[in-house]
Amino acid sequence: MAGGAHHHPQPRQYVSIAIVLAVLTAAEVGLFYLEAGVDAIGQSLTVPALLILSAIKFYLVVAMFMHLRFEKRLLSRFFTSGAILAGALYLITLAALGAVVLF
Amino acid sequence: MADLSHGPADAPAHHQLTGIDSRKLGMWVFLSSEFLFFGALINNYLLFKGRDFGPGALYPVELYDIPFTSISSFVLLMSSLTMVLAHSALARGDQDQTKTWLFATALLGTVFVSGQFFEFGEFILHGLKLNINPAASAFYMLTGFHGLHVVLGILMLLVLAFKSMRTGGLSEAEGLNVELVGLYWHFVDIIWIVIFVLVYLIQ
Repeated sequence: MAGGAHHHPQPRQYVSIAIVLAVLTAAEVGLFYLEAGVDAIGQSLTVPALLILSAIKFYLVVAMFMHLRFEKRLLSRFFTSGAILAGALYLITLAALGAVVLF
Repeated sequence: MADLSHGPADAPAHHQLTGIDSRKLGMWVFLSSEFLFFGALINNYLLFKGRDFGPGALYPVELYDIPFTSISSFVLLMSSLTMVLAHSALARGDQDQTKTWLFATALLGTVFVSGQFFEFGEFILHGLKLNINPAASAFYMLTGFHGLHVVLGILMLLVLAFKSMRTGGLSEAEGLNVELVGLYWHFVDIIWIVIFVLVYLIQ
């Protein structure tokens, strides 16, 4: 694990990250109930907010728990390119089939 | 922190020109390819969840129990914490804590899968069978395959946990296995992070 792999967080930092993840999950659930009680304009804001919160959780787990932040860049490139390609492919498919509107 | 990618001096070399252990590189490539697998299943669900299957059709979204699923999600998130603590303990050479955290991770994974079985049972009791409509099929395929991944992870964790009970605990070479199983486990967790929002919370 050359390339900076020796700076992994300590157990206390892992616990702090887990607390942040738990708070973000609670915020997601809170937004879900908020979404049910607001109008269409409000809903158009809660959906992006939910996506942003999940993206932050995703990043925290990958970067800190999977240690990708401390690994060689090659691994980051493999992983992020796979995620981006898959995401783009399926977003285009959903748009082509009318399930989502991109523009 | 000890580098778990390196085996004992007499172990066969697994390093390539990249300077990364080939098994570890293989795991990251495998996980990257899993995005396509789960992406296809999520895509499939999103395509069918908004479709109209006629009057009286039953949809998974009508049966979701968000508080229950939120607790399941929390349990799986915390299992990622116990997993990384197991890895960290092994890197420090603390075999007792490694064993404890590995068992804790397997236990939390089992709680999550049990919750999923309970959810499936409730849905089926309410009439949402696998073949009732494409939305239901897509839901069961997505969450079922995710659950299958969790079960595989639990089995791998238990193998490591029982190995860690031997005298002397896990060897340095087996340390890499903890890291690889950890990567797999965290990946299963991030896939659930996506499923939880796209399938359950955004309706």
